[in-house]
Amino acid sequence: MTAAAQADYSDKRVILVDDNAALRGILRAALQSFGFRRVMEADCVDSALEQLSRQRTDLVITDWKMSPRDGLDLVRALRAPATSPAPFVPVIMLTAYSDGERIKQARDAGANAFLVKPFTAATLATTIREAFEDKREFITTADFFGPDRRATPRKAEADHQPTFIAAS
Amino acid sequence: MAKPDQEAEIINPPNMLQIKIGGPISAGDLHLIEKAEEAMKDLRGDFGAWLEEEVVKLEEAAKVVKETGLKGDEGEQLFIRAHDLRGLGSTYEFPIITRLAKSLTKMIDMPEKRQEASRALALAHVGAIRAALSQNIRDTNDAVAAALAEELETQTAEFAKPWDTD
Repeated sequence: MTAAAQADYSDKRVILVDDNAALRGILRAALQSFGFRRVMEADCVDSALEQLSRQRTDLVITDWKMSPRDGLDLVRALRAPATSPAPFVPVIMLTAYSDGERIKQARDAGANAFLVKPFTAATLATTIREAFEDKREFITTADFFGPDRRATPRKAEADHQPTFIAAS
Repeated sequence: MAKPDQEAEIINPPNMLQIKIGGPISAGDLHLIEKAEEAMKDLRGDFGAWLEEEVVKLEEAAKVVKETGLKGDEGEQLFIRAHDLRGLGSTYEFPIITRLAKSLTKMIDMPEKRQEASRALALAHVGAIRAALSQNIRDTNDAVAAALAEELETQTAEFAKPWDTD
C-alpha cells in the first residue's frame, strides 16, 4: 500500500468567522500548520459576507453562537443562490453543542460539516478534509438550496462517510 | 434557480478542492496535525489571560443576574457567556471549566428553563468557575473540584429533567 498524499491547502483561501478573537487566533495557528497560507478573519456575519463577496473563498469555518447574526444566519445567506456571494462554498459549523437537533438544524441550513468545541488539531483536520471531500450533490427546491440532506449515500458513494461528525 | 411545486434540481457543485486533495487522512496529514498541535501549544502562554477575560465577562453577566434574576435578557446574556466558556475551557486547558459551564448552560439554555431556574444554583456555577481559575484547578483530579462539579451537575440534572428529550 502506498502512502496517501499529504493534503495541500497552500492555494486555498479560508475565512474564520467568530466573535472571539482568541479562538480565531488558535484556529489560524492550526490552519497555517496544515498549510493554509490565505487565512481571513471576520468577527461577525456581515463582515464575513462582505469579504466573501470581494474574493473567491474555498472554505468557511464559522462559529454558531454570535450576535446579532449567528452562524446559522451565515449559512442561510450563503445558500441563498440568488444573492449569495458563494453558494457552493463548503461550510464547517463550529459549536459547543453536539445534540442531534442542532446537527439537523445546521444540515438543514446547508452546512457541510459540524465540529464540536473544544476541538483538537486532529478533529479539525479531519473535519476540514471531510468538508472538502463532500461529494454530495447540491439540491435546489422551492425552499432549500444546499448539499443533499438525505442520509442514505448514493450507490456510487457507498464508502463515503457522512460529513456531519461530532468531534470530542 | 429554484423551481416550484417541490421539484428538485440537482447540481454538481464545482468543488475543485477534492480533486487536488483526495484520499483519506495520511501519514503526511498526521505530521501536519502534530505540527498544528505544537503551534496551538505555542499559544499556551496566553491561555490564562484569555480565559480570565472570558470569566470576567461571565461574572459581569452574573452580577446583573444576581440583582435582576434570570428571566429576561440578563439570563440570556449569562447563557451566552457560559456557552462561550463551555467551548473554550478545554481549549485553554481547563477542562473542569468546560464541565462546569456545560452544566450551567444545561440549566439556562431555554427561556422556559430560565423562568424557573434557581438563581442561587446558577451563581454557584459561576463561583465554581472563578474558583477553578483562581486556584489553577484544571481538571477533576482535584477531589474537592470533582465533588463540587458532580454536585452541581446532579442538581442541574434534577432541575432540567422535565425538559430532557433523550
